[in-house]
Amino acid sequence: MSVELSQAGQVLTATNLSAGYDGRAIVQGVNVEATPGNVVSIVGPNGSGKSTLLKSLVGVVPVLDGTVAIGTRDITNFAPEKVATLGVGYVPQIDDVFPPLTVKENLEIGGFLLPRHDVASRIEAVLEFFPRLKEMMTRKAGKLSGGERKMLAMGRVLMLAPSVLVLDEPTANLAPMVATQLLEEYIRGFADHGSTVLLVEQRAKAALRISDWTCVLGGGRVVLAGAPKDLEQDPVFVESFLGGGAARR
Amino acid sequence: MSSFGFGLMTAAVLAIATVGFTMQFAVTNVLNLAYGSVMINSAFVAYYFNKHGMNAWITLIFGVILGAVVSWALNKFVFTPFQRRNLAPITVVIVALGVDLIGTFGLQAIVGGGYVSFSVSSGREFHILGMFLSGMQLIILAICAVVLTLVHWLLKYTRLGKAMRATSANPNLARNSGVKTQRVISTTWLISGALCGLAGTIFAMNTGVFEATSAQLYIVMLLAAMFLGGPGEPYGAMFGALTIGLATEISAAYISPQYKEVVAFVVLLGMLTFRPYGIFGSEKTN
Ligand SMILES: Nc1ncnc2c1ncn2[C@@H]1O[C@H](COP(=O)(O)OP(=O)(O)OP(=O)(O)O)[C@@H](O)[C@H]1O
Ligand SMILES: [Mg+2]
Repeated sequence: MSVELSQAGQVLTATNLSAGYDGRAIVQGVNVEATPGNVVSIVGPNGSGKSTLLKSLVGVVPVLDGTVAIGTRDITNFAPEKVATLGVGYVPQIDDVFPPLTVKENLEIGGFLLPRHDVASRIEAVLEFFPRLKEMMTRKAGKLSGGERKMLAMGRVLMLAPSVLVLDEPTANLAPMVATQLLEEYIRGFADHGSTVLLVEQRAKAALRISDWTCVLGGGRVVLAGAPKDLEQDPVFVESFLGGGAARR
Repeated sequence: MSSFGFGLMTAAVLAIATVGFTMQFAVTNVLNLAYGSVMINSAFVAYYFNKHGMNAWITLIFGVILGAVVSWALNKFVFTPFQRRNLAPITVVIVALGVDLIGTFGLQAIVGGGYVSFSVSSGREFHILGMFLSGMQLIILAICAVVLTLVHWLLKYTRLGKAMRATSANPNLARNSGVKTQRVISTTWLISGALCGLAGTIFAMNTGVFEATSAQLYIVMLLAAMFLGGPGEPYGAMFGALTIGLATEISAAYISPQYKEVVAFVVLLGMLTFRPYGIFGSEKTN
């Protein structure tokens, strides 16, 4: 790659974090640390607070207690537009593009913080990474397929060459093969490249395969955390996420 | 055919007004029912300068400035504080309605109840496409064409315009991309307010005689034109304005000019019933 897509990472730390809506904590006392070169994944059942946790890290949901830090810098409750300037790229679970804007315009907004004359070359770099977007530059984002849309959503955050990627279920609604490619090539690739990746993933098995560390969230708390190879040995984890009745593949 | 000419003029003024109105709604989420009162206040400020000898076309600048400043201030000191309190969206609508009444009758208290008119030469008559248009009307049409082109250029090709559309489509994602949406919203009020002031002033010029309450029912025309084109769709607004402008003036020729707003209202009701997202709008719009 001629131009770097993502940058060497910074450490993203949540310490004793509580966050939620209307002053009511959904996420409670969570500790997570994502480090450069690693993928840290968060798994857990629907409604366990995974998205709320990520949102509180990037300033979309208020932090009620505890701290968020990038490196040694405390960024607790920084506004989202401020967090973006610090090299954190966030892809939300839903509403991840600007539907009435064209693909090109979506990427341009992704590069909003770049110097004007760098935008075009960054778009080129992102297109090299996601060549399929090339043919649909003038199409409205709202008219893309699920997979194309996710590529655009990822492409949008890559515009700023983020050092920390915060991804909320990037593989949701994708065909299994596309999902696997996205996780194993692209997302793992960012970490191998030195970036910090914090990933929420419903498919526990797939998440473990590319992660260096995994946290299990239940009822807004971290109920289990560890390296994938240890979690794979944990009977409770296996029961509830990898094989048991309520499990998702 | 003369009603077609009138319709075209009404449409031109309405197009500028509706584009500003729909922009406010799309980007800032405020259905600013006080728009008509800002229009007429702008017209009176321009008229004040005209009365003291300034060329009417130059006074447009003062109408534009007043519209921009008042709209910006309304957002900053009235609408935003109410929005911050997380009340039901209807609260802001009711507040806007109150502002409209205060703006209109406050103006009336100052300028009195009588009719006034700009002193502006209407120039010689031109015979174009079967219509008789005065020089003044042609200038208004030209202003409209220029302004709508500028709006198109702003939204499509500038950084600010794209940020405005992104903020309208998905404010949280815009912020995550580094867009300072609060600043974008403030700027939107300035720009849409300028359009409002311009529309108000040429509305008054085009009408001939006007008074403090002349724009009181204009909101019906705005709503009809906006819903026709799809709420929050600037291009839809242009189309809606053309349709409503022509429909009201042509019907005025056959029924009675008094029922203009009624005709607009009937169109509005029809739209709300059958196509609530407008001809161009989609459900995604809001
Ligand atoms: N905007 C909101 N206001 C109030 N409560 C909310 C809001 N968004 C989510 N919640 C609640 O917070 C809890 C956690 O939701 P969250 O979206 O974080 O779960 P999740 O783990 O991401 O679920 P999923 O796997 O379905 O995406 C849920 O009970 C949800 O109802
Ligand atoms: Mg979620």
